[in-house]
Amino acid sequence: MSHQLLDKSGEPTRDEPWIFRTYAGHSSPKTSNALYRAGLERGQTGLSIAFDLPTQCGYSSDAAIARPEVGKVGVPINSLDDFHVLFDGIPLDRMNTSMTINGTAMWLLALYVALARERGVPEAALRGTTQNDIVKEYLARGTYIFPPEHSLRLIAETYEYCVDKLPEWNPSNICSYHLQEAGASPVQEVGFALANAVGLLDLVKARGRIDGDAFGRCVGRLSFFVNSGIRFVEEMCKMRGFAELWDEVVSQRYGITDPKQRRFRYGVQVNSLGLTEAQPENNAWRILLETLGVTLSRKARCRALQLPAWNEALSLPRPWDQQWALRLQQVLAYETDLLEYPDLFDGSPVIASKTAAIVEGARAELERILAMGGVRAAIDAGYMKSALVRSMAGRIARIGAGEQIVVGVNRWTEALPSPLTAGGDGGMFQLDAAAVGDAIAALDATRAARSSARVAAALAALEAAAVSGANLMEPSIECALARVTTGEWADTLRKIFGEYRAQTGVDGQSLDLGAEHAGRLRARVEAFVAARGRRPRLVVGKPGLDGHSNGAEVIAVAARHAGFDVVYAGIRLSSEDIAVSAIEEDADLIGVSILSGSHLELLGQLMTALRARGGGDIPVVVGGIVPKADLATLLALGVRQVFTPSDYQLGEVIERMLDVIEAR
Amino acid sequence: MSEASATEAMAATIAAARRGDKRAIARLVTVFEDARAPATIARAAVLAALVDRPLGRVVGLTGAPGVGKSTLVGALANALVDGGEPRVAVVAVDPSSPITGGALLGDRTRVRFGADDERLYFRSQASGAVTGGVARVTHQVCRLLARLFSTVIVETVGVGQGEIEIVRIADSTWLVVQPHGGDAIQFMKAGLMEVPDGFVVSKGDLGAAAGATAGALSASLRLAAPGAPARPVVVTSAFSGAGIGELAAAIAAGPRGHLGEKEPYFFERWVLDEYGRAGLRRLATLAPTTAAYLAHHGGLDGAQAAF
Repeated sequence: MSHQLLDKSGEPTRDEPWIFRTYAGHSSPKTSNALYRAGLERGQTGLSIAFDLPTQCGYSSDAAIARPEVGKVGVPINSLDDFHVLFDGIPLDRMNTSMTINGTAMWLLALYVALARERGVPEAALRGTTQNDIVKEYLARGTYIFPPEHSLRLIAETYEYCVDKLPEWNPSNICSYHLQEAGASPVQEVGFALANAVGLLDLVKARGRIDGDAFGRCVGRLSFFVNSGIRFVEEMCKMRGFAELWDEVVSQRYGITDPKQRRFRYGVQVNSLGLTEAQPENNAWRILLETLGVTLSRKARCRALQLPAWNEALSLPRPWDQQWALRLQQVLAYETDLLEYPDLFDGSPVIASKTAAIVEGARAELERILAMGGVRAAIDAGYMKSALVRSMAGRIARIGAGEQIVVGVNRWTEALPSPLTAGGDGGMFQLDAAAVGDAIAALDATRAARSSARVAAALAALEAAAVSGANLMEPSIECALARVTTGEWADTLRKIFGEYRAQTGVDGQSLDLGAEHAGRLRARVEAFVAARGRRPRLVVGKPGLDGHSNGAEVIAVAARHAGFDVVYAGIRLSSEDIAVSAIEEDADLIGVSILSGSHLELLGQLMTALRARGGGDIPVVVGGIVPKADLATLLALGVRQVFTPSDYQLGEVIERMLDVIEAR
Repeated sequence: MSEASATEAMAATIAAARRGDKRAIARLVTVFEDARAPATIARAAVLAALVDRPLGRVVGLTGAPGVGKSTLVGALANALVDGGEPRVAVVAVDPSSPITGGALLGDRTRVRFGADDERLYFRSQASGAVTGGVARVTHQVCRLLARLFSTVIVETVGVGQGEIEIVRIADSTWLVVQPHGGDAIQFMKAGLMEVPDGFVVSKGDLGAAAGATAGALSASLRLAAPGAPARPVVVTSAFSGAGIGELAAAIAAGPRGHLGEKEPYFFERWVLDEYGRAGLRRLATLAPTTAAYLAHHGGLDGAQAAF
């Protein structure tokens, strides 16, 4: 075997690089369009669109629950008019567009198709991906809307539509990414993702709406979205094992023989979980190393890559931060010799053995879930969610105990001040507060200009199809063309399908707080019980639309472990819901978790809601990604403690919460 | 706080609770959960101030873990107020950790009440270190809530074949089973089928399976107790809403007002907890019956203070 990569005629060649993407979008369609155009000019080769939480959860920007979140973690899209602005000057037929969208994926795909129709671009020329993976929303990310049965129907119907009309579109992207962010081990990540893919393909097959040939093409369009962590050798083996197992599943379970349809295709965003707020400049190295895990092995190299920015644990990235991340991809692909070789690891006994171990574990995990009745039954039973919460709790305990070293966090914590955060902005991005106003003004203009008769007819047709079981794509495209809004589309389906609340995963979990903290905490709690006649009572919840529930769940489990009575109120709550919960439960403390950057608005609302109901004396603490600059504002609002990613010692966090309770 | 101003504050809290103020109700519930001895006196004072209010009905919902009790209880409470019940409270009991004593109470996540619906009140409760599906304090809290709400629903910890303590508290107890669950068979084996006053087959959206389970259940009830009055079997779906109205109507037509009769049992249990079997023997020497002892001391709180 030659060390040289040869083309078909036997000449030395080098591989084309993967697609370079940057996950981006915020404030408004106009701002985001400028961001995309600048990124493309700098050498990005594909788009990765971040939508704001109201768009992801099926609300228009002017809905009460949407207001604090508009434009925060992504771009708000209310109607086709917004899409025209978002893609202004971007040629759809030459673009590869990835949309991180799930609960409303069908709607955003319908908008994209409608945009192509109005621009005269053939639908068949559209290339890209809608994430459209609802299972991981139930497990880790939280932006689901409908119950599983109906959500899965929407996903299956996008496959049934795309297979002939948009043959180069990936209708969904099975995400193991968020499972790793939620604490999954490599074995869990691969096993759960494969169970998810099997569940989807079994469903598409069982619906029987496409023939065998089209089913093969559906299998060929199914792609994965994967995470890459800091243990990069293991991550590389994970990807080799993932590809092996996928081939096994596709050929054995579905009898697919065409090598093109069997190919394991995946995109990557490298790990955010391990990025630290402390000494944030070190994250640049972490991101580089995590990139190696998904690029070094040719056999298991990603097809598209997006990198977080070094300051992700501090705030959304600034344009310069994103450019710096893109430059890493360009240096790796174009300056190094990586793309000149065949696979570097074939024949390595170490890699083969490590890969085999992951394959074996993941296959067992897959079989366990299939034996439970498949991924849906496993969700209903809370099996995967519980496993993830347990894994995450274990990780946090190991970091707390110093068994897992995190540089700058639990070792070598003394450091010189970073010039990267010394600028006037502190190395952080500031959102344009006028965005909400712009989004709502555009929405009002759309409503004023559209034909209400056409809107009513389009929504009636959507509702009829939802009831009859006909494919919802074409009615959704007509809704898009008629200038139906995101909220109207989702509300119509909510009426028919209902809304879903996922398993919490917190039941029956335990957590190690470390012997020293646990002993001291329990003694303090017992003293509290003796003095007050009851256990400290903590209400934990997540206000707003951000569904990343790990933080809230870990705190709930840890506080229970310390002897608290913890009322877990859940996620996607209004501030009023949390205030009423705390009042009805006679809480000693409220703990809220917010990762969307909406902490100032949401805490303001919560404090007002509490005062309005006579609960202004119930203390509130918050955890999440909170820039230092916001601390003073939060304290002025009356928040008693603010916990950020640098507060990784759970025992300490719970002690500080108990301090607040005892100070009442 | 001086004693006089504490009494004044308590009077204000009671007055606010009578008006339906949730903050005040929640604080009173805490008094009824308070494990310290002086709380007995406070409870007696609160109940004395509420004695003019009619005693509401207490309904128990019990069943194995995962049968959908929490989801059902939310839908049922909404259906009861929609059907004309003035005020409904839910007490949802979840297990405490036997090791740490702490509890994770997650039932709120599955219940949807309008944030400011004054007719509905939800309270989570930790079971503490007891088995049987309810906490030691559940009965106490029901004594309070039955004076403030026309219906109080107690959702128990998911129980298996163990004792169902809830029947000691509730005016009527419903056993929730799910299609294919096999729970009914387990209860039958344990000789517990005689205990519930009615049965709910949840997850009725599973269609034929739910119907089949309900049919089998009705048949075996007839076999088990031929000639006895038929007990209702209702198939519900919290998702579609099917059967919820029927269940609410059956509950609203059911018995109420018997909570006071349960006090001798709970007093004896309290004596047993606090003083052991010697305590029970002493109680037997003090009065001909426990009910007579309670009557002599003005009820449960007075008896506890006196004993």
